Amino acid sequence: MIEDILLALPLAIVVLGAIVLMLISHFPTVSLKKYNLIAVFFLVCAFILKLTQLDDSNHIYLFEPLFNKMFVIDTFSNLFDLLFLAGAIVTLLINTHYFQERDYYNGEFFSLLLFSVFGMMMLSHANELVTAFISLEIASISVYILVGYNKNSLKSSEAMLTYIVLGALSSTFFILGTALIYGVVGSTFIGDIYSFIQNNPTKEITMLIVALMFIMVTILFKIGAVPFHSWVIDVYQGAPYPITMFMAATFKIAVFAIFLRLYLIDFTHFYDIFSKILQVVAVVTLIGGSWLAISQNNLKRMLAGSSIVHAGYLLIALSSIGLGAEFAAPAIVFYLMSYFLSAVGAFGILSFIAAQRRRRATFDDFKGFSQERPYLAAMMTIFMLSLAGFPSTIGFLAKFYIFLSAIESGQIFLAGLGITVAFISIYYYFKLIALMYFYPTDEEPKKFPFGISSSVIFLMALLTIWGGVGTGWIPFLPGVDTLVETAKEAINSISVKPY
Amino acid sequence: MNPDNFLYLSIILFAIGLIGIISRKNLFVIYMSIELMLSSVNLVLATFSRVHSEHDGAVIALLMIAVIAAEAAIFLALIVYLYKNTKTIDSEAFTQLSHKRGAK
Repeated sequence: MIEDILLALPLAIVVLGAIVLMLISHFPTVSLKKYNLIAVFFLVCAFILKLTQLDDSNHIYLFEPLFNKMFVIDTFSNLFDLLFLAGAIVTLLINTHYFQERDYYNGEFFSLLLFSVFGMMMLSHANELVTAFISLEIASISVYILVGYNKNSLKSSEAMLTYIVLGALSSTFFILGTALIYGVVGSTFIGDIYSFIQNNPTKEITMLIVALMFIMVTILFKIGAVPFHSWVIDVYQGAPYPITMFMAATFKIAVFAIFLRLYLIDFTHFYDIFSKILQVVAVVTLIGGSWLAISQNNLKRMLAGSSIVHAGYLLIALSSIGLGAEFAAPAIVFYLMSYFLSAVGAFGILSFIAAQRRRRATFDDFKGFSQERPYLAAMMTIFMLSLAGFPSTIGFLAKFYIFLSAIESGQIFLAGLGITVAFISIYYYFKLIALMYFYPTDEEPKKFPFGISSSVIFLMALLTIWGGVGTGWIPFLPGVDTLVETAKEAINSISVKPY
Repeated sequence: MNPDNFLYLSIILFAIGLIGIISRKNLFVIYMSIELMLSSVNLVLATFSRVHSEHDGAVIALLMIAVIAAEAAIFLALIVYLYKNTKTIDSEAFTQLSHKRGAK
């Protein structure tokens, strides 16, 4: 019992922080900086605690007498928890400036952000479909509100409207799938579903496949795969910068956490069907996402389009899992880590610039940026290279593993298409680099703005490079090999004991 | 008590909700359609709970109602806020985020 409490403590700290922030947001004297500091303090506490628990907890059910097997703690969920906490901390730190410059932020913003992180952490621990649904709703409802947080702008409210209508519609499908599975299996535990299909390979098979498809619809919607992508670009544009960053880098990872757990356990017996569906979805996502990204003039919309393309790469790896590529699942985890680093950095620079100047969002605004702010331009170049998958950055290695697993599973066409799309993506990423470096500007060169935001962005840039070339030679600093090993361990910890 | 009839009813309700979301313009009607879909799923859960003659499904349906209520709170607040600012609840009136390519 005591051990369980210790394992649940990071979750408890996050939700406690959210409640504390909600309570003190009634005092008008507390400044935004203090709210930010308190939120980061709670998140860092949870992060450090989680870091100490990363290895030693192997497949434990949290409070088993009380919750049966609803919450599982394994290396997989711990790794994802670390990513969510890091995502929230980095989002808050990079946007310190942005919060100060805008007049609509207050204490509740930080409280909602922490609630959303709590929902995501529950999602990675969920071992039961209803728990997964409720945690997904905790995370999404908080994000709905955060998207519409800019009360001065009608665009923000409109983005919230789009997101809440489509999001609520898509989560209906998740609960419908859960209801159908409950009807067939009589239980909603992930392990029970697995063993039911194992023991009754022909009973009510159609209904189970339909139910799993409904669940997949919700998940594909939340990651913005192409038939369900219509909300992505509008919502990303309408949301305030910090939330765009949070959604792109952290929320997407959270949805993949539950998708991976379900796909590796419950979908096991239907891989031949679902691999085909995922292949088709991956093809249209890659092509449609590239089309959307190319045709945008606004940088935020371009990054939103490119996030659809990145979901497409991940879907390639997911379909490879079913066709027997051993390294596909760890490749997804590694890709998520690499995408997290690069996307956080790219959105971070955008919001850092937007904080100081109201308008700087289109490609044209970046003409001659390297003369105005040479260091920020260099960092932006690093993130763009990593997103495009250029060698010597972490993005290259991640894409390399994805394509390797696609080839290993015999999907030569998908691998070829993926590589072609990676080349196409060079167009819209390098357009920005070219505009920054090859055009003159009238602006005076500015000094490097030393501060918490710029140093965190610098750290992200450093990690992006280190992830591409780093080795384990320097003690206490994990290189690429360590990251890949951690990803492998995490995936192993899921499939050790499916029931 | 044939469970099939309940399932047919919930299919009909779910379809009405889906069609409502797609075809109606009024935000309140869209919201009600989403609620209808979620309630039809609750009916499915309650029916299966009866079929299995246990209470798990009914408990899940209760939990769902709590989630639906949380969604309702935000959705209604949003509708009130949008009405205050634009004096309309027609979903076609919100065109700030244009779908056109290359929109600024």
